[in-house]
This record gives sequence, structure tokens and C-alpha cells, in this order.
Amino acid sequence: MVFTCPVVMGRTTRRNGTSEISRRAVLGVGALLALGGAAAPLTGCGLLDRDEPPAPDPLAPMIDEALRLAAGLRAAAGTHPDLADRLTPLAEAHEAHAAELARVTGTALPSEPAAPSGAPEADKAATLTALRQAERTGRDAASKACAEAPADRVALLGSITAARASHLEALK
Amino acid sequence: MTAPSDAGEALAQALTAEYAAIWAYGPIGVRLSGAERKAAATAEAAHRGRRDALVVQLSNGGGSIPPDRAGYALPFPVTDRASALRLAVQVEERTAAFWRAVLPTSAGAERDRALAALVEYAVRATRWRRSAGISPLTVAFPGRPG
Repeated sequence: MVFTCPVVMGRTTRRNGTSEISRRAVLGVGALLALGGAAAPLTGCGLLDRDEPPAPDPLAPMIDEALRLAAGLRAAAGTHPDLADRLTPLAEAHEAHAAELARVTGTALPSEPAAPSGAPEADKAATLTALRQAERTGRDAASKACAEAPADRVALLGSITAARASHLEALK
Repeated sequence: MTAPSDAGEALAQALTAEYAAIWAYGPIGVRLSGAERKAAATAEAAHRGRRDALVVQLSNGGGSIPPDRAGYALPFPVTDRASALRLAVQVEERTAAFWRAVLPTSAGAERDRALAALVEYAVRATRWRRSAGISPLTVAFPGRPG
């Protein structure tokens, strides 16, 4: 694969014997991710690259992120049952996003439930603040993915960005 | 709503949606008062801003500009605050869908603008749902047809 070649070539061995990925190679990975699905049609170009594992789908990390957001909301609803009516539809939306992302990327959803990134706060206001922060981070990640996505994925990513932004509003 | 085949068509369809949204906020605004009327005026101004930008963009691109109409059919009569808020939710959901349809035919700054419109209208639909007491406050896939 054209874009992964520099990554492999960029692997250097330090004098103390530890292996590290060079800075240039890391930048190469960044460029690969940034190109996203646009790079996909260009892969599979060389006989020499046969042993390379297929590049992960650039949207794969978004599946985990969606499930993490859902898990955080469900945990918060467990700690604060009076918030459950507000939080459960938002968790369900993230799970629907994960299912749709899994469908378009051709990946299976993980069988293990995702762990929330942290235990919900005992204080309700602090819980909502933490949930809003998680949605904000998720919105920004989806927005970035939307800007870089190929035409057949951009509408889904736009809806996910808008959903996370509206969750922020719903958590006010 | 049929999927637009190219960027010009997607933008022209978004423009007709903005015309209808601006028109709809007339009957909506008169049924609201206080902070809600102010929110309706802010929403209407946002739709006017996007309409004006689209007209300029389509003129510069040499594309045809669909004309505004004297009136638009409302999905239901707006007779009181409740129906006004319900229509406001629908207006935002509907215009969000047209901007979502711009995304696949756009890139760069134009895509950023389409996404900003989709996000803004989805968030505003959520605010109107809260005012209207509609639950849940959000939909899973804002702007997705069906």
C-alpha cells in the first residue's frame, strides 16, 4: 500500500536496541488517517506489500467512541435514576450511531459492553458537566471526520456531529 | 425530498428550504411571546442569512436561482403557541435535512458551512422541542430522511 510504505521504512532502531517509530513515520500515519476513505481505492498496489495487514478503517475508532459515550450516559442514569428519562434516549442514539458506523465500515460491533471513561460523579450537576464535556469532545471528533470523509460517508458523519451537538443542548 | 445530483442542485434545494423556513417563521412568531418570540426572530434571521449567502453563491457560480414564492403550504394550521412551536421544530428539522444533502456534493469551506447549518438547525430543533415539552429532545440522526 502506497501510504503505509513510509511507515515501515521509517522504523528505526535505537542504539540501546529499542525500536521506535520515527517522527516522520508517525506523521505518515497521521496523513494516512487524514486521507481517510479517500485513500482506500489506492490501496493494494504492490506485490511487496502482501504481508501488510489491511489499514484499519479511519472510522473504526468512532465506533468505540460512540459506545463509550453511550456507556457513560447509561452509568450516569444508573447513579441518578431521576435523570434516566433524559439520558437514556441519548445513550440509544450513540448506540444507533455505533451500529450504523459498524455497518458502513463492515466491522462487527464488540461483544463486550464498552466501559465508560470514568465513574459517574455522585453530584448531579458534576455528572451533567462531565457528560457535556464528553459530548463536546465527541462532537468535535465527528466534525473533523465529517470534514475529511468521502462523499458516501459524509452525511452519516454530519448527522452524528449534529446529534452530539444537540445532546450538549439536551444536557443543559 | 429527492437526493440532489450535483452541488448546484443541492444548494438550490437548500435555498428553497430557506425561503420556506423564513416564510413559516411569520405565522410562528405572531403566536409566540417573550423569550420564545425573540428566539423565533433569531432563528428567522439565521435562515435569512443563509438565504442571502446562497443567492450570492449561486449567482457567482452561474447556476440558476430558484425564485421565492408568495406563500408556502403549512403542514398544519398554526393557531396557538403549541402549534407554532411544533411547526418551528419541523422547520428546523426540514432545513437541516436539506443542508445534510449538501454535504456529499461539497468540500472544504463549502462543506464546513453545510455542516454548520445542519448542526445549528438540529440544536435549534432541540431547543424548540424543549419549549414545546416534546420528549425526547433529540433525534438519533438529525437531517436523515425517513
